[in-house]
Amino acid sequence: MVSQQPATRCEPNTGNYTAMPETPSQELADALSAVAVKRDKQAFAYLFTYFSPKIKRFGIKQFNSDAQAMELVQETLTSVWRKAHLYNNDKGAATTWVYTVMRNASFDMLRKMKSNKEEHISEDIWPLVEQHTSSDYEFSDHLENQQMKNYLDKLPQAQREVVKGVYFQDMSQEQLAEQLNIPVGTVKSRLRLALQKLRNEMGDRND
Amino acid sequence: MIKHHPSDALLAQYCNASLPASLSIAIAIHVEMCECCQAEVKRLEAQNANAIFTQPDLSVDEELSDDAMSLFAAITASDDVDEVYEVTPQTILVNQQNYQLPRALARISHGKFMQMGKLSRSRIALDDGALRSSLLHIDAGGEIPEHTHTGFELTLLLDGEFSDEEGQYVPGDFMWLDGRHQHTPITEKGCLCYTVVSSALHFNKGLSKLLNPIGNLIY
Repeated sequence: MVSQQPATRCEPNTGNYTAMPETPSQELADALSAVAVKRDKQAFAYLFTYFSPKIKRFGIKQFNSDAQAMELVQETLTSVWRKAHLYNNDKGAATTWVYTVMRNASFDMLRKMKSNKEEHISEDIWPLVEQHTSSDYEFSDHLENQQMKNYLDKLPQAQREVVKGVYFQDMSQEQLAEQLNIPVGTVKSRLRLALQKLRNEMGDRND
Repeated sequence: MIKHHPSDALLAQYCNASLPASLSIAIAIHVEMCECCQAEVKRLEAQNANAIFTQPDLSVDEELSDDAMSLFAAITASDDVDEVYEVTPQTILVNQQNYQLPRALARISHGKFMQMGKLSRSRIALDDGALRSSLLHIDAGGEIPEHTHTGFELTLLLDGEFSDEEGQYVPGDFMWLDGRHQHTPITEKGCLCYTVVSSALHFNKGLSKLLNPIGNLIY
């Protein structure tokens, strides 16, 4: 016999949940988009002041430790600053988006405490970016090594481009700078960061 | 149509990150295939967000502490953004059959398929305490032999079909079995599943805090 959930939620008429009136929803959403578009520090200060005590309170409940609660504040707000461009206010409230970012950070922290690994698989479980079915991996044939490709997939787009160009399309750093319309220095620094990350990843797994 | 869903309790634990990784992945896969669970996850996340982020702060002083100031400065010192990209679909070949892996598994490696008759199993490379997760492939005409584990077993049908005493299963169906349940699924055309098993042996030894909520669901 199979235990199964009577799927009441899978019948029509699921009510929508609306934000409580006292949440400054519009202000928070506006601040997020100002951070995304203009890297607006004042807007971020507003988000920082609004969210940090609440995240800390949640973190203390979650980890039962002040230090880890602070780490959660730091992880979450760093992601808010660096990933604000992923927030889409058609898809939900700013508070919900920040919650998912915090929940993901908290999951990764718990995994790290348990297995001592920096895996960051939370985004495999709860992706912060919408998935589309098509993909533009024109280079996939060149990357025979599946594992290598997995590592590359974990790099930020900007770094991945540089690694692909230099190592898989045999371009010089100068050619690549021209193609991407960025200074050669930026190509070099992205490449350095990317290789550092790849080394960490691969070293970690090949032990 | 998907008929078997994670329980409300599992879905709620999934949303607040209190499930172990291998079960979170199973639910993530199901949710991506099931619109109603997707809507429920959205609702739960919004509800959790409201519970945490609408309470007024205890101290309403507008001044940031020195620590907060330096954290703020450290975070905003760099204008770099983290690009997050879509996951490339991954196709795997099992016994001359191509399957596309679910998104959640695309970046997590798995071992070589080991074949035992019509069954092939590949271990997911996930360190998750007492839980073992695998890809399980059954060739056309195969069946899952009756097994005797005393923990629980989760089977999520990814592709293909199978049926048992209770009826037919379609991709996305989420089946939670414990020691009291017995069934012998048979597949006509073949199927690929994601499975998570736990043995009671490990449970008896006292699982970590993370696993405790599941204990309640099993026993």
